[in-house]
Amino acid sequence: MGRIEFHHVSRRFDNGFEALKDVSAEFEEGSMTFLTGHSGAGKSTFLRLLLCLDRPSRGQILVNGVNVTQLNPRRLPYYRQHLGAVFQDHHLLGHRTVYENVALPLRVLGMRERDVGRRVRAALSRVGLLEREALLPTTLSTGEQQRVGIARAVVIRPKILLADEPTGNLDPELSRDIMGLFEQFNQVGTTVIIASHDRDLIESLGHRIIELSLGAIVRDTHPVDTHPVDPSIAGLESNAEAG
Amino acid sequence: MRSRKDPWPRSSNPLSWWRDHYRIGKEACHFVSARIGTSLLVWLLVGIALALPAGLFLLQFNLSGMTEGWDGRPGLSVYFKLQADGVDALAAQLRARDEIQLVKVTTQAEALAEFQANTHLADALAGLETNPLPASLRATLVLGTTTAELDLVADFARGAPGVDEVVVEKTWLERVADISRVVNRLGVVLGVLFGIGAVLVTTTSVRLAIEARLDELRVLKLVGASDSQIRRPFLYFGALYGLGGGLVAAMLISLGLVVIETPLTNLLGSFDQDLQLAGFDPRFLAVLLGFGGILGVSGAILAARQRLRSLEI
Repeated sequence: MGRIEFHHVSRRFDNGFEALKDVSAEFEEGSMTFLTGHSGAGKSTFLRLLLCLDRPSRGQILVNGVNVTQLNPRRLPYYRQHLGAVFQDHHLLGHRTVYENVALPLRVLGMRERDVGRRVRAALSRVGLLEREALLPTTLSTGEQQRVGIARAVVIRPKILLADEPTGNLDPELSRDIMGLFEQFNQVGTTVIIASHDRDLIESLGHRIIELSLGAIVRDTHPVDTHPVDPSIAGLESNAEAG
Repeated sequence: MRSRKDPWPRSSNPLSWWRDHYRIGKEACHFVSARIGTSLLVWLLVGIALALPAGLFLLQFNLSGMTEGWDGRPGLSVYFKLQADGVDALAAQLRARDEIQLVKVTTQAEALAEFQANTHLADALAGLETNPLPASLRATLVLGTTTAELDLVADFARGAPGVDEVVVEKTWLERVADISRVVNRLGVVLGVLFGIGAVLVTTTSVRLAIEARLDELRVLKLVGASDSQIRRPFLYFGALYGLGGGLVAAMLISLGLVVIETPLTNLLGSFDQDLQLAGFDPRFLAVLLGFGGILGVSGAILAARQRLRSLEI
């Protein structure tokens, strides 16, 4: 499971705001893609729809061929158990240790405590925080907290890893380290989609970049070529920037 | 839409379900003990809510036990005028009736002796020239005698020569039965009202626990916890609050029994009854704890359903 397809996906809210407009895109299994764009471009909505935290107004989102927008709510948890998600504000539990935070998804799966310990330590080792396992997240630096968030996302060994502005609060050096971690997970076959507005950083990494503006894809840049999706939408993006 | 058969199956390991319950049970105990002040308050509130109807149930149980022991075989006492000589004749007539099981005659002399023995007024009574106490007889009716038959026997005794007064014992038994019925109804009404109160107490407490853990619930939902997994800790809280409340109720009832033991013994003694409180046994305690647990879980379900339905990530 790792192939993702967006087919004419739109999301219009009750107040009339359209966060995504007829978005279509495909993500191959094991690919790494950055979503970029200004605030309000639709990056987070894109990821929320993929996590089924929200439902599109129109269109289909296929994950491994299954339209997840029509998943029975009872089955949604089992879908989410196969995804890893990282957020800018980490979503860590301040009253639980680093170990407990990372162990949470494994306990939801009902894994044996012995296996939980092994998997948590492996994940913490991958992000370089093994010696911090007994500490509370509040005692860690922002970069370390983000690493804990990543460890929690990858501890279940997901086929799809999603990240929403994972370097938003970090300095350039730490940001590069964090992106390096995502690249490591991508290299073992995980499909990675990262929303980030840090254009300089993501362009330096040489992966596919999808640019969103006002809810529409205005540019889909693959590592080897650059091609605007639709000249009319590209023009819209220019206008938006000018405005 | 292309479809495949369940690409994201749930865990098929039945042990994982038990592991989750074990872990959450431990966490719930830790949560309740870590907030012992709040927990004690909840236990006390639930305990009071359970103790009153449960106490009334015990009272009703014992009152009905008293009347059951007498039901169908009430008796009557016949008091004669002083120096009346129809005592033996009436006793013989009553013994001949089918409704009568036993007739016991107390002569004037026996009444005086009994009075002297019980009241320690021997010296005072010795100074009297005549015996002021009347002769009497007590008739016990056979099992199954109806109230109407008892009334007939009483009327027959009243018509006998030398009879001063006939006291039908069913009167106070009927009162006890009436009180028992009132207590029973009161117990049901209070049981419902205080049961709702106990549910509301646990609902509020569990709701506060949910509010305190909203961040954690959002993360749990994000990493794929099912609704039942998210709800589970709070059902444990509810069960613990309810069980603790049941335990407190049992303690309050036993405390109440200690407090009323002496006056109740005196009261029953005046009716020739021994205090033998029944019903406060392990079975009653188990039912009380079970009922508390059910009320606690009900409150938790109510709180979790209300709050978790609108949980946004």
